[in-house]
Amino acid sequence: MFMERRNFLKGLIYGGVASIASFKSSTLFSKEPAAVASGGNNDLVAVMGGEPAQMYAKAIEAMGGISRFVKRGQKIVVKPNIGWDKSPEEGANTNPELVAAIVKDCLRAGAAEVVVFDHSCDHWQSCYKNSGIEDAAKAAGARIAFAHDEKYYKSVKIPKGKRLKEAKIHSEILDCDAWINVPVLKTHGGARMTISMKNFMGIVWDRRFLHANDLQQCIADCSTISKMPVLNIVDAYRIMTQNGPKGKSPDDVQLAKALFISTDIVAADTAAVKFFSQFRPMDINSVSHIGIAEKMNIGTTDLDSLSVKRIKI
Amino acid sequence: MYKKLKWIRVILALLFFLLITLNFVWFANSKASLLSPVLHLQFVPALLGLFTGTAVFFAFLLVITIFFGRVYCSLLCPLGVYQDIVSRIADLFKSKKQRREKYRKPQNFLRYFFALVAFLPLAAGVTLPLALTDPYSNWGRISSEIISLGENLIHNLFAGIFPESVFYRGYAPFIIEIFIFSAFILILVTIMSAFRRRLYCNTVCPAGTLLGAISRFSLFRPEMGSECNMCAACSTVCKSNCIDLKNRKIDVSRCVSCLNCMTMCKRGSVTYRFAYRRKEKKSGMESAGRVPSGMDNFSDDRRRALLTMGLAGTALVARAAEFRPFKSEKEKEVEKKHSIAPPGAQSIQHLKDNCTACHACISVCPNRIIKPAVGEYGLDGLFLPHLDYRNHFCGYDCNACTQICPNHALIPMSPEEKKLCQIGRAKFSLRNCIVFTDKTDCGACDEHCPTKAITMIPYKGTNLYIPKLDRDICIGCGACEYICPARPVKAMIVEANQVHLTAEAPLKEEQEKVKVDDFGF
Repeated sequence: MFMERRNFLKGLIYGGVASIASFKSSTLFSKEPAAVASGGNNDLVAVMGGEPAQMYAKAIEAMGGISRFVKRGQKIVVKPNIGWDKSPEEGANTNPELVAAIVKDCLRAGAAEVVVFDHSCDHWQSCYKNSGIEDAAKAAGARIAFAHDEKYYKSVKIPKGKRLKEAKIHSEILDCDAWINVPVLKTHGGARMTISMKNFMGIVWDRRFLHANDLQQCIADCSTISKMPVLNIVDAYRIMTQNGPKGKSPDDVQLAKALFISTDIVAADTAAVKFFSQFRPMDINSVSHIGIAEKMNIGTTDLDSLSVKRIKI
Repeated sequence: MYKKLKWIRVILALLFFLLITLNFVWFANSKASLLSPVLHLQFVPALLGLFTGTAVFFAFLLVITIFFGRVYCSLLCPLGVYQDIVSRIADLFKSKKQRREKYRKPQNFLRYFFALVAFLPLAAGVTLPLALTDPYSNWGRISSEIISLGENLIHNLFAGIFPESVFYRGYAPFIIEIFIFSAFILILVTIMSAFRRRLYCNTVCPAGTLLGAISRFSLFRPEMGSECNMCAACSTVCKSNCIDLKNRKIDVSRCVSCLNCMTMCKRGSVTYRFAYRRKEKKSGMESAGRVPSGMDNFSDDRRRALLTMGLAGTALVARAAEFRPFKSEKEKEVEKKHSIAPPGAQSIQHLKDNCTACHACISVCPNRIIKPAVGEYGLDGLFLPHLDYRNHFCGYDCNACTQICPNHALIPMSPEEKKLCQIGRAKFSLRNCIVFTDKTDCGACDEHCPTKAITMIPYKGTNLYIPKLDRDICIGCGACEYICPARPVKAMIVEANQVHLTAEAPLKEEQEKVKVDDFGF
């Protein structure tokens, strides 16, 4: 608790400095053109064969650089999957190195603050710690937010939702300027697969409601909220090909060394499922929230209609 | 010399008091492995743990009592030290005259009545009355219910001021029965000690009475020597009002070895003396069992002391022989689903036999699923810890409760042992399952199951998947019950194992590692 107070004070100072900086930037340098990296503005980038941070660097470059999505002075949320009290080797949570790389990149792009959280399933402090994400994210300069109590969530209407018409969403998501969705690729007993859309379960307080009211429809409904992530970055470095989403041992995991990044959440999940099918057959139609989402015009499963870049390292 | 000794006692006593209390307070709980060893040196838990693995601690406490009397009461007992603190504070509001103590007759009827209430049932195989009167466990319950609640309030005050760096902590489920009981003991002890110092220890406390009985035969006792000039300084500072100046007798059965009298005596008359030397020299072979004339009062006490010890001894023998005439026949009637004993309890009977309901396990549980039972185990299991999966489930990698237990009422388990400890088994009722009732995907139970006792299999005639439960692998952690969204009745409910079993190890499922060179799209 007292350690955290120290961090708080640190944050206060950094935050103050950053907000002054952002104030300056918005007044003095307002004519500064948005930085566009040389890589071009692809809709979907797939990378394979590298280490998490390395693959991210390649992918974001091909997406036009992080500054296409993160503006100076913004408050950014990076939302990984920290659902389980498992080590990085067990592949149940997002890779901590990837989370750290994204955090650093956002700060480099001038983000005033980067916040990392997830609504864990297991004991939250154990999840934050043993996933390695808390340490990695803090070291990278992020603030860890709490998500274990209902008081951190605010009720929001979801007008486009079919079954999920209202939900309590984490206030960090509601209050931020932009957020980045960083799921990990896993099987799931209920939803079949858990990727980008399913990762929204971690910004919602009452997950049971989703399970009880047509899970697949609710997952799609969740992706109709007005505050959608600016980027979906699918961690497929270690993928859980059986016993997901929690897994029981490292045997459930395969080292796939891949990463998918897209502004289109449906496309990101489509690409990830297709990639996953090479390890273990998975009919994309059975992951029915993807199909439902396409019907609801959340995104497209037709990857050919997008500008896709494939990078092998 | 006694001044130094007293200072050492005071400092050690405060240290023990603090360390013991910290075991029950959340912010120190993560350090439980460092703090919990101090809980072993508690008389009643050690007594009950005689046959479960903490005999060495009981032997230690017995030996110091045989040597120096009720050192436990002034040094190790948290409720005793609390009373010293209260009476110190109360002294600030008293006049000099009011602060002065004097000899008072022992409340023998009450003392032995409470001792009987505690130890007679024990001899008949019922631990509960002793557990509810044990001073350490009472302090544990007070700490767990009241002090930690205060700490929680303060924590959340900070969480309100620093929302980004201090997290909000939900309050432990409030159970009125245990709160009232703890508050009653706290108020009773506070009032008694504010007015009459260690009166509680010498009237109500059964541990005090038993230790007092043993102290009657201790080797070294505080005694008044010939140097005494009847100044009465010793008796004015005696917490137990046990220095009988007229008869120049110190009632060792009530003396809590606080050393106050010895530090007060300017003539060095009140000191610890070897109790058997002179008597043996004077009365020679006749000494054993013979009562000197004019000491009828003391012979009465002696008889009572022997009775108390005899009773406690009988209780221990009865336990060793597993003599249990009142073993409840109603066990089967106890509602199954809510009487899950924590891991390490071995069986509900083992828990009832050994647990003093000190609530250390309740305090240490990071998921706050251990709660005091009010009716779940039946009447003889009042306030014993049981698991309740309403707000969370038992952490697969966590063994905190088995590590903190002072007397192996919960036997210590390694994380590996605990992962196979089957405290109960889930029961799946299809007719409540969302997949069956709503014909939609769910899988919440499968998602949470740590051993994969639950897997999802294709559900006939649909493209849905439905849970399949292998009860032999299930350890009863309650993750499925907790998360199951079915209402009003959940589809997964854990049924308690009256006797804990070892579950079958989770199936090993090695898979072929696939090498992929393409993106697949």
